[in-house]
Amino acid sequence: MKHWTEGFDDDHADEPLVRPYTITGGRTTPERDDLTLITLVTVISEAPADNGPGLRRLQPEHRTILALCKQPLAVAEIASALNLPVSVTKILIGDLIEAGHVRSRPPLAFAQAGGLPGMSILEAVRDGLRKL
Amino acid sequence: MGFASSDPGVRAPLAVKILVAGGFGVGKTTLVGSVSEVAPLRTEEYLTHASIGVDDLEGVSGKSTTTVALDFGRITINSELVLYLFGTPGQERFWFMWNDLVNGAMGAVVLVDTRRLEVSFASIDFFESRGIPFVVGVNCFHGVRDRTQEEIRRALDLDPQVPLVLCDARDRAAGRDVLLALIDHLMAAHARAAAHPVS
Repeated sequence: MKHWTEGFDDDHADEPLVRPYTITGGRTTPERDDLTLITLVTVISEAPADNGPGLRRLQPEHRTILALCKQPLAVAEIASALNLPVSVTKILIGDLIEAGHVRSRPPLAFAQAGGLPGMSILEAVRDGLRKL
Repeated sequence: MGFASSDPGVRAPLAVKILVAGGFGVGKTTLVGSVSEVAPLRTEEYLTHASIGVDDLEGVSGKSTTTVALDFGRITINSELVLYLFGTPGQERFWFMWNDLVNGAMGAVVLVDTRRLEVSFASIDFFESRGIPFVVGVNCFHGVRDRTQEEIRRALDLDPQVPLVLCDARDRAAGRDVLLALIDHLMAAHARAAAHPVS
């Protein structure tokens, strides 16, 4: 039987756990629960040169997200680019939404549509895949 | 087409996703990579992030935590629609993550390796029990077709309606065809639902 860690990337095994939660100011759970792996995040305003009153001080990682999301990018893509766990990334994105720097677009909720995506979506995906 | 956000401040496309599941070593990341427009990306999540309080971190600097990795890819369908492909963690022990993964998925591809069909049983059980549409891709990357499709179907105890497609996960066209088989399967389910509304 294979050991459960087999096949998992352990390049970062020596990194301390502390660093990601330092970035979030010690917060370990996202305040928002509406961000999913494929929620698309887009910048709507430039970060202020100096942090305005009432805004949580922006970390370098916040600014990296702002730079990345000039084009819409999924939460999973942002986490991958930052090399941070998804939960930590969601906390940072939540800060930027709260501060009005980015907007998020949730994915289509199929649960509300009888569990199946609409035919027009399926046709668009099929046509797109055929061009691959 | 009208999938783009109606919010004038944001012209974000609509995101959809397909899961690529199956047991350890069946070629999930290979399939994602062969059809993705970018090299497969990797993201990580803490195993028990919600239970780790910051107070617990004192004195553990340098101590590693357990993370579970997800490989994923992206296909831009058009300016208004983007498809993400997520390889699921192969080990059952990480399936607590699947709620996050499964929510909003159009459907799934379960890859099987004919030499080790049993490593994909749990994935098939999972999608059947959740009522999530899926197709089975038989990864023939080793060039061995030692079982007929009927034998594979019987071994997997597959519902007759579930499509089974032979493929080579390394090949872009073959990977694409597995995804198209899933879309056709979803369209057929759509047509059946329209013909026989449940309620």
